[in-house]
Amino acid sequence: MKDFKSKIEEHKKRFEKALSGVKDEKSLQEVRNAFMSRKRGELKLLFEELKTLKPEEKAAFGQMVNDLKIHIQEKIRVRGELKVIKKESAALKASSGKIDLTLPGQKEYWGSPHPILLFQQEIENIFMAMGYFIEDGPEIETDYYNFEALNFPPYHPARDDWDTLYITDDLLLRTHTSPVQIRAMEKRKPPIRIITPGKVYRRETPDPTHLPMFYQVEGLVVDEGITFAHLKGTLEHFLKTLFYEKIKIRFRPSFFPFTEPSAEIDIECTVCAGKNEECRVCGGSGWIEILGSGMVDPQVLKNVNIDPEKYSGFAFGLGIDRTAMSAFQIPDMRFFYENDLRFIRQFTLK
Amino acid sequence: MIISLNWLKDYIEIDLSLPVLIEKLNMIGLMVEDWEEKGSDVILDIETYANRPDTLGHLGVARELATALELGIKERKWPLTEIEQKISDLADVRIWDDELCPRYSGMVIKGIQVGPSPEWLRKRIEAVGLKPINNVVDVTNYVLFATAHPIHAFDLAKISGRKIIIRKAKDAEVLRSLEDSDISLTPEMLVIADEKKPIALAGIIGGEESSVKESTQDVFIESACFDPVSIRKTSKKTGISTDASYRFERGADISFPPQAALMAASLLTQLGGKAAKGIADVYPKPKKEKTVVLRHHRISDLLGLELDGEFAERTLASLGFQAEVQQKGVWQVKIPQFRVDVEREADLIEEIARFYGYDKIPASLPPLRALELPVDQKRERINKFRQLLFCNGFDEVLNFSFSDPEKEARLQTGQKAIEIRNPVSSKASLLRTTLLGGLLENIVWNKNRGAEGIHLFEIGNAYFWQNETNREQLTLALATTGLVGPVQWHRKSEDTDFFRIKGALESLMTYSRYEPFSFKEKDHAFFEQEYSLAMIFKEETVGYCGLLKKNLLDSYSLKEPVWAAELNLALLFEKQPYSFEFTPVDRFPSITRDVSFISSRSVLYQDIKEVVEKLAIPGLMEFDPHDRFSGSSIPSGKISLSLRFVFRHPQRTLLAKEVDTLQEKIINA
Ligand SMILES: [Zn+2]
Repeated sequence: MKDFKSKIEEHKKRFEKALSGVKDEKSLQEVRNAFMSRKRGELKLLFEELKTLKPEEKAAFGQMVNDLKIHIQEKIRVRGELKVIKKESAALKASSGKIDLTLPGQKEYWGSPHPILLFQQEIENIFMAMGYFIEDGPEIETDYYNFEALNFPPYHPARDDWDTLYITDDLLLRTHTSPVQIRAMEKRKPPIRIITPGKVYRRETPDPTHLPMFYQVEGLVVDEGITFAHLKGTLEHFLKTLFYEKIKIRFRPSFFPFTEPSAEIDIECTVCAGKNEECRVCGGSGWIEILGSGMVDPQVLKNVNIDPEKYSGFAFGLGIDRTAMSAFQIPDMRFFYENDLRFIRQFTLK
Repeated sequence: MIISLNWLKDYIEIDLSLPVLIEKLNMIGLMVEDWEEKGSDVILDIETYANRPDTLGHLGVARELATALELGIKERKWPLTEIEQKISDLADVRIWDDELCPRYSGMVIKGIQVGPSPEWLRKRIEAVGLKPINNVVDVTNYVLFATAHPIHAFDLAKISGRKIIIRKAKDAEVLRSLEDSDISLTPEMLVIADEKKPIALAGIIGGEESSVKESTQDVFIESACFDPVSIRKTSKKTGISTDASYRFERGADISFPPQAALMAASLLTQLGGKAAKGIADVYPKPKKEKTVVLRHHRISDLLGLELDGEFAERTLASLGFQAEVQQKGVWQVKIPQFRVDVEREADLIEEIARFYGYDKIPASLPPLRALELPVDQKRERINKFRQLLFCNGFDEVLNFSFSDPEKEARLQTGQKAIEIRNPVSSKASLLRTTLLGGLLENIVWNKNRGAEGIHLFEIGNAYFWQNETNREQLTLALATTGLVGPVQWHRKSEDTDFFRIKGALESLMTYSRYEPFSFKEKDHAFFEQEYSLAMIFKEETVGYCGLLKKNLLDSYSLKEPVWAAELNLALLFEKQPYSFEFTPVDRFPSITRDVSFISSRSVLYQDIKEVVEKLAIPGLMEFDPHDRFSGSSIPSGKISLSLRFVFRHPQRTLLAKEVDTLQEKIINA
């Protein structure tokens, strides 16, 4: 009885040794034949021998032989699937027995996200952590949603600042993602807390800081008791998370038809921090314009049937491209849309 | 708006260093975009807003600054040297359209010697970047840049019948402008006309004939208000934009025309002219002053701070508003007519906030009172797809939505492209109907810069007309060409092929649980015949993949094959993936069997797969081809295909014998 058990052990040892000597597909096949051949394989012989044992021994050793069989099958399968055989043998040959462990490891080619979308996701994540919901809407908009509902009457000169690409008299390419805010307010009831990222379009000739298409994120909060202080607190938190905690932020008055009061937000220059009068990024002012914002104009709330006496809100918007430019110190906005892999693939490291 | 610091000092005592002054201006919303020292003067370029025409002159900027610095505005007197003759004997003003011209004032200056302006005036004109022309024109420009109110001077002798009629143009009327070009007028345009013909395009530009020249002796000064929308329409239609039209289309102070005329008259009499007595002031429907109710608590409600009522009153008063206490905590505020932008309580609160200082408003976070449940998984699905594609070695690109009509035509998507009426360039006049055009451009760009393997994807909209309706269709496009992966010492780089694209699609579908899906050979405009598959999910074609047509690649000068795919994500995402369910892990070992056989090349794997599946063999967990080759050892026209079968029994260990029988069954089939 002991004999048979040690026999099984022996077979197992022999198998392990044979397997460790496998260098290529051929030698693996040899091992497979030696142990698993249905005619003369070692396992076959072992099963044959098992038949000659006494019934009580058969029961005890049957399971052991079966286990060995599964073990061998599994090992051979895994060895085959590893597909390292050829390579290893090449390496062994090259280093005459010992692998040169200083050679670089295996590289996988992973695709890289586009920097604009990478940055958009970072922005989305910050706002999602503050309970914001992401909304999207059409890029081809009507004059009503892009302008009128946002308090731009027809022929108002404020429209000059939003130079528009038209498809028909009424259809246009949205110049901001604000129409998504209008659509969101039409279908939701306060409290509303959303951001609206997406492509926007302006009739601009391409240059280092202007393009006819770029990305924007806007945000909107409408609820009872929303104040300008909330706008400040929210955007300060956002900018400190996106840039760095100690970044200097400045709110100054501005004008947008859809907010009252309106504010523009500057951050200190990420390149010179105001210390270089010749700085190309901030023009020596030490500040970079980053966000437009304000308290939602009461007329805009009325346009979507929200009572401005009961509810108030704030809204803000920023250009993703421009913000990414200041964050990564990219001098030319056009780099984003050349899609040069040497540019894009840098951001895998981000 | 160009502002001269010396000119500002005509109105307020400024005793600040330049950086402090700039900071003050910025923080009340008059953003200094640029500045320059010019002799003893400093020239500021200040950003002004479309709703604040009052800041398009030095007086308006001074008023803002005076409020910020808590200073007063210096008053200036405008004395006249007059003659006995009355204006009513010299000029007759008639408004025929008081909607488009609600007020028109005029004065007459006689005996002016037209010539160069005195030094002080020339300096002012040059400071704002204009060229001095003659004393009369310079005076009109001076008034405009001082007060933001545009005025115009006519040669009185050239006004036929001494009649000034403000009316709409007649069909086919023409005005010869100062630049010696003819402006064709249309009946909706407002003109200033004499007895016979138009002499100026109202609020925009004067006519050549009635303009002030060396020979001019008597001058008629026009100081009026015009309807902003009408001015803007005419300016857009004629393509003429002037300092005057720029201000009128933003709205003018209706109370101001007589004062602006007086200023000009006073300056002209100081230059030797004499004013006729009186002022022609036609103002048929005097506009009432607006009043707005301001509640103290609303200031705190909107700004989130406690603000002293006295500060609000002081600020408003300094800006020219008159706030009267109506009851405790409520003011009745009279709006000065130069503030065309202020109409509601919120507008007043903004004024108070601006001068209180945005930097002094506290910062806090709004309470989170409710959270929403997500309505759809679109964003999650897009991000999952992106992650899977990164793992498959595809780089993400972003292309413009615009497309060149010539290139669009070559792509033959069969969709009716949406055209932009006023494109940035004729090569970007359509919206793309496919994303593949962009990817091909990106491949060319990167190939020209030495890239050997290019594997790209883009997720974005394709745009087209569908039965008169504009459609935006979320689309994914993939393209792959050249070598796969980095060159490595222990692994040869291989050329990409069709199965890379197909594999990427399979992994997108599988790992998003869009199963079962299938492929079917189907022709497509992008792809070579017989190298084109449609991907089908829930009985609908959700995308295509294949080898891009040679003539398409030729048009991009691409020599190597490019494999590509386009998926209609809008359609795919409408369909539900199967819902995830946990399956217990099998406790018993599996048995693997390889079966190799030789078959005809024309037998498709799909057919073999179907046959095996039809057998419904119990215990067969999965099977996959693991080798396929042809060559000298195989008869021509045949291939050797090896399939690997995995068997497993859910309740016990399978016996080799059982598997053998099953294998027999497969082989026989
Ligand atoms: Zn800087």
